[in-house]
Amino acid sequence: MLGSPRTGVLKRDDWLDLARKLDWDLSYVSEKDAFPEIQSGRPWLPHAEWAGWDEPFRTSYPEYVAGQHAKEASVAAVREAVGRVEDYQRLPQGWLEGLKLHAATLPLAEFAAVVGNLRAARFGRDSAWRSAALLGALDEMRHAQIPLLLMHDLVRWDPQFDWTHKFFHTNNWVAIAARHLADELLLASDAIEFAIATNFVFETGFTNVQFVGMSALAHGVGDKMFEKMVGSIQSDEARHAQIGAPVLATVVKHDRAYAQHLLDKWFWRSWLLFAVVTGFAMDYLTPLEHRTSSFKEFMHEWVLDQFLRSLDEFGLQRPWYWDIFLEGLDNYHHMVYASAYSYRASVWFNFVVPGPQERAWLREKYPASWPDFDPIWQRITDRWRASDPGNDFAVHGTAIVSFCDLCQLVLSNGTPRANAASTLDHGGRRYVFCSRPCRWIFEQEPERYAGHKDVVKRVLAGEAPANLVALVQRYFGLDYDTWGKDAFGGDYPWLARSARSDKREA
Amino acid sequence: MIPLYGFLEGDTIGLLILAQADDSIAEVARKLQTAARLRVAIEGPVTVLYDGKPVDPLSTVADAGMQPLARFDVRRGPRA
Repeated sequence: MLGSPRTGVLKRDDWLDLARKLDWDLSYVSEKDAFPEIQSGRPWLPHAEWAGWDEPFRTSYPEYVAGQHAKEASVAAVREAVGRVEDYQRLPQGWLEGLKLHAATLPLAEFAAVVGNLRAARFGRDSAWRSAALLGALDEMRHAQIPLLLMHDLVRWDPQFDWTHKFFHTNNWVAIAARHLADELLLASDAIEFAIATNFVFETGFTNVQFVGMSALAHGVGDKMFEKMVGSIQSDEARHAQIGAPVLATVVKHDRAYAQHLLDKWFWRSWLLFAVVTGFAMDYLTPLEHRTSSFKEFMHEWVLDQFLRSLDEFGLQRPWYWDIFLEGLDNYHHMVYASAYSYRASVWFNFVVPGPQERAWLREKYPASWPDFDPIWQRITDRWRASDPGNDFAVHGTAIVSFCDLCQLVLSNGTPRANAASTLDHGGRRYVFCSRPCRWIFEQEPERYAGHKDVVKRVLAGEAPANLVALVQRYFGLDYDTWGKDAFGGDYPWLARSARSDKREA
Repeated sequence: MIPLYGFLEGDTIGLLILAQADDSIAEVARKLQTAARLRVAIEGPVTVLYDGKPVDPLSTVADAGMQPLARFDVRRGPRA
């Protein structure tokens, strides 16, 4: 009998572990058969080594349901109040472009995370871990559905919002890169790698704080719906991200080198994606008057400090490429943004040219690197000045760009003075990598990555069109209504001023 | 046709350049500069590096031993 005769109800802490610590002694199947290494991950350890697994939230299912119900009601209320097309039409154009970028990369990656969490809900090595992962799977289902619902309302106004759902189903080069990451991170990883890569590095290190930062920016811009959406998602992430630390602690105890490898690999892969998605939004697409800090400042304050503290707590080292990463903080998203602006018709959102005031701000925030980028934007500005407003292809690249054989993103690592790409011959094929860390990740497990073709290899193999317009339309899935353009058609107030004043400000 | 990965000093991205075996190195450099001209002005002498070493601009792609999907760099300034 569970109840006390006097109260009839046990205190929460007295019954909770009956619902979350449900491991039992296996009798007709071995532990190794029930939790095979290929699904559960390595190091494979008997359950006794995992029995102390715990996380701070210790959420029961009724508590989960009640909490999620309240969050859903809150999102629905905000949607009712400010989720109409007319509400979005009042937002700054640049912000809307960042919204399209975020909206597309989010939902189906979250859906893939449902699969990763469900694998952990079955093959995680302790029942409390499995319980938390099950709630994580329900979280991720919700995170897939919220942006799909909210952005769907906007499709009739702007068809680029249709890429919220369409993105991951296309062969767009950004989608190929995102799938390459999401498939390995979320669909193909075993329970241990998923917990360290997704819960610890990706969520604790990046998305959790990224949502905080983007939520604050949304508040400043006046995008109450996005603020509510990412705030609501973040509250789930903060809970299920806690799965990662206790898994990492056990792996560190038994195989420190493997734990270090997973951290090094997944910090780099996560960084590249976040530099693009969040770096673009913070340093280019959010209107200058609403920016609170640069992407680099945000990374230092919200990501690096916490990540380095975590490494200390676990007795792990900074990734071997730390100096390369720090150089990337000054350069990488600037390299990719300028490149992507030049090939904006190959993506589903529009771009903004940084004007004289934005360039002055970027120079102040990035004194070491911006002098190398400023001449590029001056040249693009000059090209727009010589072209008719709206004539996008007069200010657009036509050559075929190159892609990394690991991250599948453009070869834009390093600096404008020294691009960091390198080639490698392996198994009779030549591979190219944007950076030493991407090459290192490939070299650690070449059989895992060697068969994948980047866009250039597909073009050279005749699997994708070599002509840029055909590539954009037939392979990337874009048409005139959806391919990226200059958000203002090159018709900027500062551009219309005299060339003399622009030169003085620049 | 020999596809090459070209990197122009001052630019933000590597580009795929389609060269012919009998193209001069100077022509290959010009192709890269032209492909990147939206971002980087074509001005002044340049030096082509292959395997990290300067290459004679009058030699050909075949002479230089450039293999498909090899990296070459175009740097500002005359050949030392």
